Amino acid sequence: MKTKKMCAILGNVSEFKGLLPLTEERPLDTLPFDCKYRLIDFPLSSIANANINSIFMIFNDKGSRSVFDHIGGGKEWNLDSLKNSYFVYFYQDFLKQKAQGLPYYSAIIDYLEKSEAEYTVLLGSSMLCAIDLRAVLKTHQKQNNKMTVVYKRMDREKLSANNHIIQVNKGGNTTSVQAFDQVLDKDKQLNLSMDIFIVQTEWLIEQLIIGQANNSPTSLIEFLGEKMLDTQTTAYEYTGYLSNIDDVPSYYQANMDMLDAQKFNSLMYTKQKVYTKRKNEVPTYYSEHSSVKNSQCATGCIIEGSLDSSLISRRSIVKKGAKVKQTIVMSNAQIEENAIVEYAILDKNVKVRAGVKISGTAQNPVVIEKNQVVEQDVIGGNE
Amino acid sequence: MKTEMLAMILAGGQGTRLGKLTKNIAKPAVPFGGRYRIIDFTLSNCINSGIKNVGVITQYQPLELNNHIGNGASWGLDGIDSGVTILQPYSSSDGEKWFEGTAHAIYQNIAYIDQTDPQYVLILSGDHIYKMNYEAMLEEHIANNASLTVAVIEVPLKEASRFGIMNTDENDRIIEFDEKPAEPKSNLASMGIYIFNWGRLRNVLLNNYSKDGQMLDFGKHVIPSYLDAGENVYAYRFEGYWKDVGTIESLWEANMEFISLDNELQMRDKSWRMFSKNTISPPHFITETASVSNSLVVDGCYVAGTVIDSILSTDVQVKVGSTIESSLIMPGATIGKNVKIKNAIIGENAIIGDNAVVYKENDIEVIGYSEVIGVQSDED
Repeated sequence: MKTKKMCAILGNVSEFKGLLPLTEERPLDTLPFDCKYRLIDFPLSSIANANINSIFMIFNDKGSRSVFDHIGGGKEWNLDSLKNSYFVYFYQDFLKQKAQGLPYYSAIIDYLEKSEAEYTVLLGSSMLCAIDLRAVLKTHQKQNNKMTVVYKRMDREKLSANNHIIQVNKGGNTTSVQAFDQVLDKDKQLNLSMDIFIVQTEWLIEQLIIGQANNSPTSLIEFLGEKMLDTQTTAYEYTGYLSNIDDVPSYYQANMDMLDAQKFNSLMYTKQKVYTKRKNEVPTYYSEHSSVKNSQCATGCIIEGSLDSSLISRRSIVKKGAKVKQTIVMSNAQIEENAIVEYAILDKNVKVRAGVKISGTAQNPVVIEKNQVVEQDVIGGNE
Repeated sequence: MKTEMLAMILAGGQGTRLGKLTKNIAKPAVPFGGRYRIIDFTLSNCINSGIKNVGVITQYQPLELNNHIGNGASWGLDGIDSGVTILQPYSSSDGEKWFEGTAHAIYQNIAYIDQTDPQYVLILSGDHIYKMNYEAMLEEHIANNASLTVAVIEVPLKEASRFGIMNTDENDRIIEFDEKPAEPKSNLASMGIYIFNWGRLRNVLLNNYSKDGQMLDFGKHVIPSYLDAGENVYAYRFEGYWKDVGTIESLWEANMEFISLDNELQMRDKSWRMFSKNTISPPHFITETASVSNSLVVDGCYVAGTVIDSILSTDVQVKVGSTIESSLIMPGATIGKNVKIKNAIIGENAIIGDNAVVYKENDIEVIGYSEVIGVQSDED
């Protein structure tokens, strides 16, 4: 085993029903974010920035096409060089093996043994952040526990029932783990476990062998969450930008956060670069009729109408007289003359016909599904 | 494996007429159109024309150019049977191999060309803005049973004396070639794009250099000698947008023409895409105080001022109160507060301090790479 080397296990396998219909045909990992990214770009970039050269990825088999589409050969995250490698597994295979009474962690154990890495990082895509994994590793090494968990102090209203809340003592170790809906304490801010762990690989292998003989959770993140209860765990506090994405409003808000210069800089302009799939789009054209305030655009767009507090993805077209406000427009959308779109999320390839109005609210944005042609007004947001 | 046609891009010229912009980098590496460099057009034409092997001959200040081209992956030239090779002058037991002209540069690289063993060699220059299908040109070359085909474009007769002019017969066979004639007999200008049968060109060059070695240039020496020898030399007519961006005026003009959606280049046509090396930058941000009109903006820009009829390249910042009009701002430049810029080219990573005015009447003002104008404010 090579000392100091890290390998990574990446995967969010929950279904996130609150994100439907956005996750109808894609996992949370490939949800578009901030005009040109996918959520998975953030953990993959953190891994690349930490010079980790081996990744084990676990996805739901449903929607895996979009994952392969996006990652391709892994070149953008430096996964295609001679000494780097990545492996993709499906969560359903682990579930099947478990149901058949087989050792369901065996593929992971096999991977960990071959990785020759002293440490293993576990992370997912639902906690949107730019984490410096090398800094976490330093703390992990200093504290000398088997396991380290990353947390952030968050306002209560940004938490959801299945989030895990930890308590931390003065020595920098965790003292308790609870699901958010079990927490009795009324503090305004709580320590949210970001489901990012660094563990000793050898110890993890031992625990997995014991675990699969004792019916422990198939999801590794859940498994390690439980392990915190009986293993002394280092707590690493993350202070940068974090968005906890698990439903449409939290997804909408995370995108809108990027129009706040401080949050945008804190996620996008740290020393951690964020890598994504490259496209050779032409520059975005703003016509003399356009009027744009407080908005972001990727390349390849044609803007002839007005944008206010909106995010426009690659190759989208906003025609003359159209007004787009407080809206997320995914790639290749077409918003025709004099259409009005406010407080909405337009999925990929949506067409909004001339003069049509789409209107939601900040708390409850209207979602237009992929490939839809909207020919009649959609007024939503009253739930 | 035998290659049908190998492309050789001549990218070694100094481009002195671009002044400050080519002081430290070769002309083909000069930024263009927001997210391109000039050579991207030629390289993209190659890959779109199905050419898989490209040699890029560099000489003058090649660092930026070599870095841009890398292993050719940005243009898909890194496959199992394709590649781009950067060819620089080197020393050998015969002495130093500096390139003294376009044909001489090919002569110095015969060893490389022999390695790929092509039937045809396509000679290109790396400093033109255009979209062209070289495969169609090769088809004509073959159909004409030509030994050399020269791509030509019709230019206004009054400008013809700036070019190498071809006089042809009714079948477009070239009868006569005049380099920059005072009184041009036709308006068919050479674009500096040639297809040669490699076997023949190889012999001609080797023969010549084994004797007096005067074949330095294609235009001045090789084409006339082909005509004198009665070789089959044909013209291939090109129609469409073609711009030599060799001067500040033409570079600025080509960029200004590039903005419009109905530009003849048809940049948004997916069937002939232009590729470039991608940088890593977030989407651009247009603030509350900004106004952008008839302009191009790309990734990484931050715009808080007014932008009219201009191009903002990757990672350009325009702070509040500033106005940019009819200008090209190259990548990474920072424009401070209350700046006025008009009819200008601002070099890569230049810093324009607050309240500066960059404008020259009846002329195009150029700020060099990393040049600092005025004083930069400390805040934000």
